[in-house]
Amino acid sequence: MLRLVLKQTLAHRGRLLLTFAAITLGVTFVVGTLVLTDTSREVFDDQFCDASTEVDIVIRDAVAFDAAMGIEVERDPLNSRLAAHTATLPGVSRAIPVVKGTGLLIADGEAIVPAGPSMLTSWTGVDGFTLRDGHAPEQLDEVVIDAATATAHDITLGDTVRVQADSEADLRVVGLVGFGDADGLPDTTVALTSLATAQRLLRLGDGISQISVIAADGTATSEVADRLRAELGTDVDVAASQDTAAASAAAAKSQLGFITGALLALAGAALVIGAFLIANTFSVLVTQRTRELAVMRAAGATGRQVMTSILGEAAVLGIAGAVAGTGAGLVAATGLRALLDAAGATVPDGPTVLSARTLVVALAVGVVVTLIAAFGAARRAARVSPVMAMREGALGTAGGRGRIRAGVGLTLTAAGVAALSVGGATESMPALGAGTAALVAGLVALAPVVAPAVVHLIGRGLSAVTGRSVPAGLAREAARRAPRRTGATVMALALSLALVVFVSVVGASVRAALQSGFDEAITAELVVESARGEMLGGLEPATREKIEELDEVGTVSPLRFGHWKDSGATRALTALDPATIDDVTHVDMVEGSLTDLSDGRDGVVITERQAVERGRDVGDRLAMTFARTGTVQVPVVGLIDDDDAKALSTDYLVSLASYRDWFTERVDATLLVRPSSGTTLDQAQTALEDALEGMPTVEVRDQASAAEARTASLDGILTLITAVLMLTVLIAMLGITNTLALSIIERTRELGLLRAVGMTRRQLRTMIRTESLLIAVAGLLVGTTVGVATSALFVRAIAQGGDLHLQIPTTGLALVAAAALVVGIVGGLAPARRAARLEVLTAIHEQ
Amino acid sequence: MTNLLNTTPGIADTRPAAASTKTVAVRARGLVKTYGSGPAAVKALDGADLVIHTGTFTAIMGPSGSGKSTLMHALAGLDVLDAGQVHIGDTDVTGLGERQRTLLRRDRFGFVFQSFNLLPALTAQENITLPLDLAGRRADPDWLARLVDTLGLRDRLGHRPSELSGGQQQRVAVARALVTRPEIVFADEPTGNLDTRHGQVLLSFLRDACDDLGQTIVMVTHDPLAAAHADRVVLLTDGRVIEEITDPTASAIADRMLQLDTDQHPNPHPRAGSGFGSGSGSIQEG
Repeated sequence: MLRLVLKQTLAHRGRLLLTFAAITLGVTFVVGTLVLTDTSREVFDDQFCDASTEVDIVIRDAVAFDAAMGIEVERDPLNSRLAAHTATLPGVSRAIPVVKGTGLLIADGEAIVPAGPSMLTSWTGVDGFTLRDGHAPEQLDEVVIDAATATAHDITLGDTVRVQADSEADLRVVGLVGFGDADGLPDTTVALTSLATAQRLLRLGDGISQISVIAADGTATSEVADRLRAELGTDVDVAASQDTAAASAAAAKSQLGFITGALLALAGAALVIGAFLIANTFSVLVTQRTRELAVMRAAGATGRQVMTSILGEAAVLGIAGAVAGTGAGLVAATGLRALLDAAGATVPDGPTVLSARTLVVALAVGVVVTLIAAFGAARRAARVSPVMAMREGALGTAGGRGRIRAGVGLTLTAAGVAALSVGGATESMPALGAGTAALVAGLVALAPVVAPAVVHLIGRGLSAVTGRSVPAGLAREAARRAPRRTGATVMALALSLALVVFVSVVGASVRAALQSGFDEAITAELVVESARGEMLGGLEPATREKIEELDEVGTVSPLRFGHWKDSGATRALTALDPATIDDVTHVDMVEGSLTDLSDGRDGVVITERQAVERGRDVGDRLAMTFARTGTVQVPVVGLIDDDDAKALSTDYLVSLASYRDWFTERVDATLLVRPSSGTTLDQAQTALEDALEGMPTVEVRDQASAAEARTASLDGILTLITAVLMLTVLIAMLGITNTLALSIIERTRELGLLRAVGMTRRQLRTMIRTESLLIAVAGLLVGTTVGVATSALFVRAIAQGGDLHLQIPTTGLALVAAAALVVGIVGGLAPARRAARLEVLTAIHEQ
Repeated sequence: MTNLLNTTPGIADTRPAAASTKTVAVRARGLVKTYGSGPAAVKALDGADLVIHTGTFTAIMGPSGSGKSTLMHALAGLDVLDAGQVHIGDTDVTGLGERQRTLLRRDRFGFVFQSFNLLPALTAQENITLPLDLAGRRADPDWLARLVDTLGLRDRLGHRPSELSGGQQQRVAVARALVTRPEIVFADEPTGNLDTRHGQVLLSFLRDACDDLGQTIVMVTHDPLAAAHADRVVLLTDGRVIEEITDPTASAIADRMLQLDTDQHPNPHPRAGSGFGSGSGSIQEG
């Protein structure tokens, strides 16, 4: 049986080629995503876990929570005397004071901006860095950097580099370090200095970031940790170093979770669309082999055996596709990384990780998707009766099942539309999700009914324009005659195009809302932001200090971001300066004003929507948990208009004074700047740019480009998703080529007859190409309709009554239309050429 | 239906050629066609000569593998020859390119195949006018009406082939062959898939078309009863024309065929399905 299956698969390898390609593409995508994220995860593990190999216990300031939204919270510094005290405690061999922070390296006036962090750490000798050359930093003006950075930027021992943190200093490179076997950490620059230098650069006074404890020989780490906890009290956090490292790695990895999820969702879409192609191929193969299968049945094969043999072929194909896809996935991981990079979502790069799980998933995905897709055809094959071996012609279509299918399809479609309408009206995302799923399932079921009708109508329309043409008429008929095949092909393309339309419409709508809110609410002429898009912003305090000194500047009003916990959920808030905020913004308040935040008491302004949802009003209290302080009952002092709050990025506004109490973080996210009176915008901008010249990651933008920049990361992600979705369009195109190629085989005799009675090769080619184009245009119509309809409802739901309006992006739709036309034209080329090459005589006598 | 054409003299008026003129419609000389190469090579035609006059009904007969279908395909420009020349009227078919041969088929020939070969998606009417539609020409409405009425297809025009009987389908095929008023109609075993009664009806129709309209007809058949409707039977063996029977009767043909078969009998493996069949299946593998 296995031999028979293998022989059959090989015998049909020509017909299975495109199917194989579709499976391979889908698996490639899945494997690429998994390899990419595994590699990045491994990098994070290396970065954090190996760093504390010799260290047993880490003592840090206690916080209410370690990390939020993928970034670790900053902690208050510890008193350095605590290290000396810890060293005297029993079970402690060494207690090393450590300072950690961010310090940008500047060599020869050029800032070295890595994709990952710019590490600045005091030298300990126990944290995994090993000297490759030179010596440890001892003097205040000495620094040790990682060998990888030194090599990349041509820095040698004795060179001077500038390290820029809260303050900056020129330091002499006295040593180069590696990390384990590697020359450094991936996507990272490392600067190691003496403790005092690090404290000075990070303006910590004599504070330290943490105490690294090495337990005495023969003592258990957990016992020592317990003893330290008892001794040092609850103001500090005592943890096994491997736990803190794992927690840090986990925080960093949680950011990858989103990327993995998004990429896997796209891979899923590619697989679903590929499944249409697979289903089509097997359906056609079974139809073409009806006689052969009937002979098998007549020879004594049971229906189950026939079914097994078809599924066996599918399995062989799935395994082959999975193997090829795994190989291609290793390459695709690099491509995906480049795409993500271009989209502004940088993930760390390291040695490629191909885990056993990836291999299992690849194989499972390849085989399971193929089997499911081939199942319908296999079941149909099992129903072939032996008597068909003697009959002329192909398998008839079952009318009854068609009606059941139409009924199921109509029900699902109606349910989907209903759920979507309800979801759109009630702004319920689950209802929208379920509605979309039902709608898609319904359309898939209806495809054999709907798609040929659409194709026929388009064909009619085309004839009306171009005049009656036999090849075009025949193309229209051919598409209609194989409704299931046409339906699956049209739907595959329609779904992939609907996804592109959906992303494009939702993206454009969100984009417009972001920009318009910003335009209306922000009145500052200039906006200073970090070009690197750090989550909490990346402007060191020095940036504001430099700007405030300028005569050209009238008002500088900073915005900071912070995370807080709201009974488990992580939320973001915006801190602003109540004294200056009205100079640079114009927001509508429902109740109270932003200056109510300023009278020395803590308070929070929340959006009207949050007030309604939470049943809170001015005067009520909101329980907010901060990492630094724990839970604080904060009085609500004002309600702000929902849309204007969007310009300030969050639903919760607090004063900078409160922020300083609640957060350790000191970086500004945005500086809103007004020129002083008598200074032109240009003069002010030039002055700012000159003043900030030594800070390569800081950007000065005018109001309009700042509005644009707010959507830059969104644009990047949309471009990435669209680029990746084009892959599904490509698979859909393979589907058209495949369908036509298979249908040509089926129609060989008919084509031969046409040629015999005088159809020229050119007319024949036109006929096949027209069919391809009709399918593509039908896919375009269905896809655009579904895409626009679902995205319109989604936009309404996301808007939740806010200022989000549906934007139909003409460029996006033009792109989709162009893609469909290219698909229609290119998809038909090969089958048309092939059909035209048919020998008339051979074709006419084909059975 | 057999005599319908006799009762519609109007058709004859529209036909330029008369049965009595001795114009040459087809002249074939030294036709050679080999399939395959090396030891597996099969010589389907081996120097066949043939002249067919305008307005005659010729039947090509011969044992399986004698090359009769290959000969017809060569005459009709469906197949390319290795050697020899075919003239249709003044046109040297052997010198024509693929496109010109296609246009020749479309504009000057009509075809009737054994397995009716109608397009399932088209109605009977659309199938009939297919060659004209492909050429972008309109059917002469009078001529079309006469054909349809004569063949008894009037009330079947809107039907698709699947809704027609075998006899009706083959009559549609004949109408399609005649609709362009071709110089020659080529019929390849036209009665092969019909029962005797429907077969006789069809042959009578072809006979009438020849007699009344001066239609030149070339028919390949293995059935002496069918061949008896022709003016002349051309007998082929081993790719060569070995004999002609004029004004044949079924029994005369049957006797002669039986004799040929006996001659061939020593060969234990007569090739089944002549040369053209060898290519079937090759497309399927692609």
